[in-house]
Amino acid sequence: MNSQVVLTALGQVSGTVFWMLVGFLLIEVSIWAVGNKVLKNKNTLVAMLVTPAFVGLGLLLVFPLLYEVVLAFSNMNLYHFRNPEFSLLNGLENFKRVFTKPVLQTTTFFPVLLRTFLWTSQVLIHASVGMLLAMLLNRPNLKFKNIYRAILILPWAMPQVISALTWRSEFNFEYGFPNILLNKIGLPGIQWKADALWNFIAMVLTNVWLGIPFMMVISLGGLQSISDEFYEAADMDGASGWTKFQKITLPLMKPVLAPSVMLGIIWTFNNFNIPYFINEMKLESSEILVTALFRAAFNFSQYGFSAAFALIIFALLFSMTLIYVKWTGALKGVTD
Amino acid sequence: MKKVLVALLVLASVAAPIIAGGQQGSEPKGPVTISLWTKEGEADGALQWVEALAADFSAQHENITVEVLNKEVEALREDFQTAALAGTAPDLLWSVSDHAGPFTTAGLIQPVDDFVDTSKYVESVVMNGSTWAVPIASGNHLMLMANKKYVSELPATTDEFIEVAKSLTKDDMYGLAYNLGEAFWLAPWLGGFDGSVFAADGVTPTLDTPAMLNTLKFLRSLKFDYGVTPTESDYAVADTLFKEGKAAMIINGDWSIGGYKEALGDDLLIGRLPKVSSTGKYPAPYTSGVYFFVPADLPAEKESAVKMFIEYVTSEKVQTEMLEKLSRLPGLRSALSSPVIENDPLMKGSVAQMEVGTPMPTVLEMRAVWDAINPELSAVMAGSETPEEAVKKMQEAAVNGIANLK
Repeated sequence: MNSQVVLTALGQVSGTVFWMLVGFLLIEVSIWAVGNKVLKNKNTLVAMLVTPAFVGLGLLLVFPLLYEVVLAFSNMNLYHFRNPEFSLLNGLENFKRVFTKPVLQTTTFFPVLLRTFLWTSQVLIHASVGMLLAMLLNRPNLKFKNIYRAILILPWAMPQVISALTWRSEFNFEYGFPNILLNKIGLPGIQWKADALWNFIAMVLTNVWLGIPFMMVISLGGLQSISDEFYEAADMDGASGWTKFQKITLPLMKPVLAPSVMLGIIWTFNNFNIPYFINEMKLESSEILVTALFRAAFNFSQYGFSAAFALIIFALLFSMTLIYVKWTGALKGVTD
Repeated sequence: MKKVLVALLVLASVAAPIIAGGQQGSEPKGPVTISLWTKEGEADGALQWVEALAADFSAQHENITVEVLNKEVEALREDFQTAALAGTAPDLLWSVSDHAGPFTTAGLIQPVDDFVDTSKYVESVVMNGSTWAVPIASGNHLMLMANKKYVSELPATTDEFIEVAKSLTKDDMYGLAYNLGEAFWLAPWLGGFDGSVFAADGVTPTLDTPAMLNTLKFLRSLKFDYGVTPTESDYAVADTLFKEGKAAMIINGDWSIGGYKEALGDDLLIGRLPKVSSTGKYPAPYTSGVYFFVPADLPAEKESAVKMFIEYVTSEKVQTEMLEKLSRLPGLRSALSSPVIENDPLMKGSVAQMEVGTPMPTVLEMRAVWDAINPELSAVMAGSETPEEAVKKMQEAAVNGIANLK
């Protein structure tokens, strides 16, 4: 990339950026004028500071969400691209189609849903292995702790798309390292890309590799905040290592683990990069809900249908989160 | 505080017209900027060539600036649909013919009959009595290429082809490499086995046929019975193997000729895919090409500039230059008789293959057909599905996919 390219790019966005700045300036000035001069309100500065965020969120989150709801009640696809019809009937038809007809070419909704749950269950591995590694790293007399930690955190620090593409090449039948390793120990190579089951396993392996560091970092933070006094007292009572883990570590880690597992579940459920990029052959047997949604919308241009599909995924995730929050009291500290 | 705000407002009102004017250029008599989206990439030097063309053209025409933006083929289609909806479509597209289906269905492009004299060009995308694209390059077809170090003459029939490939496959060397799991590489053989993806009406998929079954069996046998191809090979693997001399033959498209010329030099051999021994027919790769599409929302004041740029790129001079630089066959008829083609055995081989090719369907339904073939082809080539199962599933997937489009 040379400076000419940078300049051209800046030139292309400068107009938009300029008008955004002008817009915000006008909003700020009017708030200032009304709040400070007319109403003489002492909270004017606060209003001025939060307004850009509100406007930004409104434009980037609220508007698209509302537009999506509207779109779900349309028959928009390539045949009705410019002038889609919006009606209750279209909406009902779209929602019905999600459950009654293939969402892609052959797969229907429920097998994809089931596969997505199976896919999401890997968060258990993230959390347990992450916790295990964190406990190892938390041993007081461990040498080279910082080096281990840096290495273990690496997968998380790398851009996901890059990792996904690198892993995809590693799953090559002849030149990828998993198969070379298998061949070395006398086992036949695996068709990671073309075989339905192994492709799914390849996706899970990649995502486990990516997901563990996050859980490890969070767990490590939690472990370090537990006071040694608890363990010393337990030692005096003659508690075993397992008892200490069960009665001290786990309960005290709950406020840390619960929200991070919830995040993990949402991220994994909605993880797009890994399933999309690892599934190079576009096997329908490897699609999870979000990748199926993407393909329905952008490969098949089923905009109305996809909007309905997306709302259903949203509802699912929302109710899952509600149940989880109730069950674990994850947000107790926030709401109390 | 007040003074600062006033100063900023004054500054804003002064700067606004300057920036806005530079970005949009909306005055009819003033400067015009054409934004061109192209699918050409940097790898074979095509994007650099397009950029040079745009710069040359802009230099020749004081009032016109052509801005080139490169997008990967699929991203170009998706982004153009989104941009057209949002009212921010580019002014000209440089892309492949299969986009014509979605674009015409959605009403996003306009006929070019009024833009150019269509008779000057090779066969273009004609639908509903209108021409929808201006050919830049024709072909885009697959052909057989070989490394002369191993193959002195291209095999004429599939029986010979298998023999040659078998004799060359040893150690870390393969007789043949190609993109195993991609339907585009299956299409020529389907033609060779006397099949077609659509019935005569051009929109009803015909994938559950003996021709498709034989095609899958043939491709499967290359890997499993004769072992002449790598176990798994996508585009990049095949390409690398051939460039490194680890594959004696490759099936690849005209877009790759330039790169192979560079890698192999005089050792490159190009010609038709071998005649299918059992049917006596030549494989028929899809031919399409690269085209200009004119967006339906093109502002009136930009029309003449766009027209001029199209004329420039499809002029005989530029078309011959493309032939020499990128080894692509021109879309302009008069440039097709260029001595460059006559004197170049590689280009002659490419033309020979194109002669037996078949135009790629541009209807929207083709999308569903591609996506129906791909996974089943992969499964067959992975050995996890029999060709008999695959053809049934393909047909079902294509029928469902087409129903979903409506």
